[in-house]
Amino acid sequence: MSDATRELLQNLNALAAGLFLLTAFGIVATRQARGCLQLFIAQSLLLAASAALLGLRFDSGHLYGVALVNLVSKPIIVPWLLRKVAPAELYTRREIDQALNIPITLLIALALTVGAYFLGVPLANAVGPGYHGPNVPIGIAGLLLGALTLTVRREAMPLLIGLLAMENGAFLAGVSIARDLPMLVELAIATDGLIIVFIVGVLVRAVDKQVGTTAVGELASLREGPARRSGPGADS
Amino acid sequence: MSERIFYNLLQVVVVMAFAPLVSGVLSRLKEMVQSKRGPSIFQPYRDLWKLFHKDEIVSEDSSWIFRFTPYVVFVTPIFVVLLIPVLTSYPLFFAFMGDMLGAGFVLALGGFFAAIAAVDTANPYGAVGASRTRMVGFLAEPVFMIVFFTVSFVAGSTIPYIVQQKWVTPLANFFAPSHVLLVLAFLMLILAEGGRIPVDNPSGHFELAMIDESKSLEYSGRGFALVKWGGQMKFFVLLCVFLNVLVTPWGLAANQSLGAVLLAVPLVLLKIFCFVLVLVVIESSLSKLRLFRIAEFLGAAFITAVAAMIAQVFLG
Amino acid sequence: MSVVWILLPPLVAAALAGIPLKRSLAPGATVVSCLLVLAGASRLAWRVAAGDPVGDALGPGWSNWVAVDGLSALILFLIALVGTTAAVYSLGYMAHGRPTPGKLRLYHANYNLFIFSMLAIPIVAEPTLVWIVVELTTLCSALLVSFDNTRGALEAAWKYVVLSLLGAGIALFGFLVLFAALHAGGGGAYTWAGLVDAAPRMPAFLMQTAFLLILIGLGTKVGLVPMHTWLPDAHSQAPSPVCALLSGIETTTILYVILRLFPVMQGVPGAHAEKWALVLGLVSAGTAAFLLLQVHDYKRLFAFSTVEHMGIVLTAVGFGASAADYGAMQQIVSHAVTKSFCFFAAGAVLLAVGTREISAVRGLIRRAPAAGTALMLGGLGIAGAPPLAVFLSEFVILKAGLARGHYFATGLLAVFIVIAFFGVMLHLNRMVFGQPEGPVPPDTDGASLPFSCRLTLVLAALPVVVLGVYIPKPLHDLLAQAATALIR
Repeated sequence: MSDATRELLQNLNALAAGLFLLTAFGIVATRQARGCLQLFIAQSLLLAASAALLGLRFDSGHLYGVALVNLVSKPIIVPWLLRKVAPAELYTRREIDQALNIPITLLIALALTVGAYFLGVPLANAVGPGYHGPNVPIGIAGLLLGALTLTVRREAMPLLIGLLAMENGAFLAGVSIARDLPMLVELAIATDGLIIVFIVGVLVRAVDKQVGTTAVGELASLREGPARRSGPGADS
Repeated sequence: MSERIFYNLLQVVVVMAFAPLVSGVLSRLKEMVQSKRGPSIFQPYRDLWKLFHKDEIVSEDSSWIFRFTPYVVFVTPIFVVLLIPVLTSYPLFFAFMGDMLGAGFVLALGGFFAAIAAVDTANPYGAVGASRTRMVGFLAEPVFMIVFFTVSFVAGSTIPYIVQQKWVTPLANFFAPSHVLLVLAFLMLILAEGGRIPVDNPSGHFELAMIDESKSLEYSGRGFALVKWGGQMKFFVLLCVFLNVLVTPWGLAANQSLGAVLLAVPLVLLKIFCFVLVLVVIESSLSKLRLFRIAEFLGAAFITAVAAMIAQVFLG
Repeated sequence: MSVVWILLPPLVAAALAGIPLKRSLAPGATVVSCLLVLAGASRLAWRVAAGDPVGDALGPGWSNWVAVDGLSALILFLIALVGTTAAVYSLGYMAHGRPTPGKLRLYHANYNLFIFSMLAIPIVAEPTLVWIVVELTTLCSALLVSFDNTRGALEAAWKYVVLSLLGAGIALFGFLVLFAALHAGGGGAYTWAGLVDAAPRMPAFLMQTAFLLILIGLGTKVGLVPMHTWLPDAHSQAPSPVCALLSGIETTTILYVILRLFPVMQGVPGAHAEKWALVLGLVSAGTAAFLLLQVHDYKRLFAFSTVEHMGIVLTAVGFGASAADYGAMQQIVSHAVTKSFCFFAAGAVLLAVGTREISAVRGLIRRAPAAGTALMLGGLGIAGAPPLAVFLSEFVILKAGLARGHYFATGLLAVFIVIAFFGVMLHLNRMVFGQPEGPVPPDTDGASLPFSCRLTLVLAALPVVVLGVYIPKPLHDLLAQAATALIR
């Protein structure tokens, strides 16, 4: 292919990666549970786009398969499965007050992104010559921002999306450095993601029924401390 | 040489002439989206003409600031027009008089006077609006700075004409992640500084909820006309900076012939109207943010701008 | 006979557990499948100990996916052993709470899936598939941890899932970097053996990063400090047979995955994996030993002891001597049998007394003699008192450490072991022999243990006692074979 086409594909890939980073920031900061899910869907679409573009660039049919798997499993099957398994209240929640307010969380996210760049650029260079693009630093940033979401958010939906977003981030990096992963592995990872959604949905439903809230991040009664009389009584 | 001065002045005339038109088109489109007919797109011209012919009433308790401010608000955008690329892609006569930071400060001067004048009249709504505008302003400052610094870092200069030549002209740069993020950040900034939804409702009448509009509640007659016109010109200037420097620096006159410069006028207007369409879509789909959420909105803009800077520094 | 058939019985049992037939179908199927797996794993372990290569029994095409060596055989055998004893124990234990048939079937289905996922880890040779199976273990055991459906159990299950998956996400990136390093070094088979071969060619920076990412990511699941916060909750709120599985063998299986990286890192110039292992192991052992002193719940006591023992194993590997590697393998075996016995005893105590609080239990030797004796034996065993299994393995480790010259580290490890000993004995002594302090809560009506629980206690106590004085030759050969897998 010509140099100009190559340039164009690389630039489009960089665009997809930049928007990916934006969605990762959005997932950390958005208040509404439904908005979180929509941002995750957008992020998965961008991941599939990046995989497809890199597949075009390197003429690797393998990456098309990755793009297809991501396209089917995350934007389509994950929301459907969540609708089936999780309680309906999950979608209507908003985080009104948080442990850390949103601007500070965003600043921490920014610091993590800078750290991700510091780690990611030498990593991409160490893998060898050839085009890697911004995938590796932005992928690591996606991973770290997913972990940040898990730390600061308390509602169940953002926590679940944070878990899945971490995988998205790892994948975005993997698409450019680990291009020939066997298809079986890709399919298994996608299925794995679905099982995560299933199990988390079941757990959240149980918590909602038992404790009465979907803010599962707030459960914090198990710790060392003076013996609580209302604690574990006659359990089996 | 004389052509450059002429073109510079032509830029001012174009901006003065077409700023109300942009405002008229924006409000007409918004109404049409809501399935109403809306006012004619030339209505702002008629409003200005009407206001220039009405009496002016000035409170006795106000000071010289109140009388002086309409002229400041009218003149500061004109100064900025002299500095930025509106019709041409090569620097004109006054281009090196000030850079983007200077333009920002000049606009801020106008805003400063408007805010003080709002307090001057002892109308409580004016003071409320003034303090809210200052809050939005100071939250928007870091975003401005980061955007300008990133763009100047790439272009090697802070003069808008040179930035425009270096920033997007290689087409590859258009898709770079830093460019996209900067465009997003600056868009959020335009929404904030221009008093658009989701920051402020420009067509609202409820004084307690106003941010920008309440500063001009007390003016009448000629002063009001100048304040309105100045506001419309400021919005036009922001759009010119956004479109002609950052996003689509195409369609500007490349050589010094009068024909090319005159041809640039409808092209620039076309670009602005396309952007007005985008703006109408944004305004019609979002709802106004609560006041304390504006800090989060502008915080998100700041983060986007810094992310753009990081992407530029590490990958550029 | 190929290795993959060992995975079949648990899957069949899980499927059978889904069928709503007789009430005893599901538990019986579980026990039968576990016995089949035990038979298969013992045979495999016997063959490996005798020196037979087992690798590609299914044909050369499979060697990219499935491979078994000494270490895998050891772990397989331990999974099968603990799985069987826990399955027998659950027969009596789960019936005690009188669960609905649906819930019981759910328990057994999850149990079998959990065993399946754990069995797959030592067998699979491709690291990313191993990662997938590691995630599967988390997901299959999540519903087991929350089985009691109390607020505490749900919270523990939630923290378990979130933290484990967080760690797994980091480890996924580590595995992808490992893959990239393999290709940057010129390619090769992406299996454990292939990585060991390709190690000298792989870029050191990538290998270091991958190792650290996997250590931290999977270390979250192993329970290494400071990522251990979920472990005391999950390993105490779950039903006791599940705790035995989780503490006894599941953390060890994940540690096995980390251990597979050590021979690879030895081949990379400039990488010091052993130092990281040493530091992290000592930190874990020490923190756990200190945290042990102020628990209020005896199941949490045993859970912290698991963290400590994982730290000890990691430290032993970090010493970098083949004698220490042997000690680490021996520690894995003794910990598996002793910890599962401890949790069986804890379950017996819970059935007798009805509460998990240490302060509410006094004079157990008088109230419920069987449970009390078992608890004491388990406590002595896990704390490392002679002549029980754990003492012998810890002794081997400390001796090897001194012989290698790590005086400070060995001394520190010995101090931590002693502190943990005091902590465990302090709490258990009061529980078993102490005088009641306040009004004694009335005994629950389950004061007499179900038969299967008593049988399991007796059976599980045998290795704990026997391995403290004598290691049978086949086991010794197996341990030696497993230890060689840690050296390039």
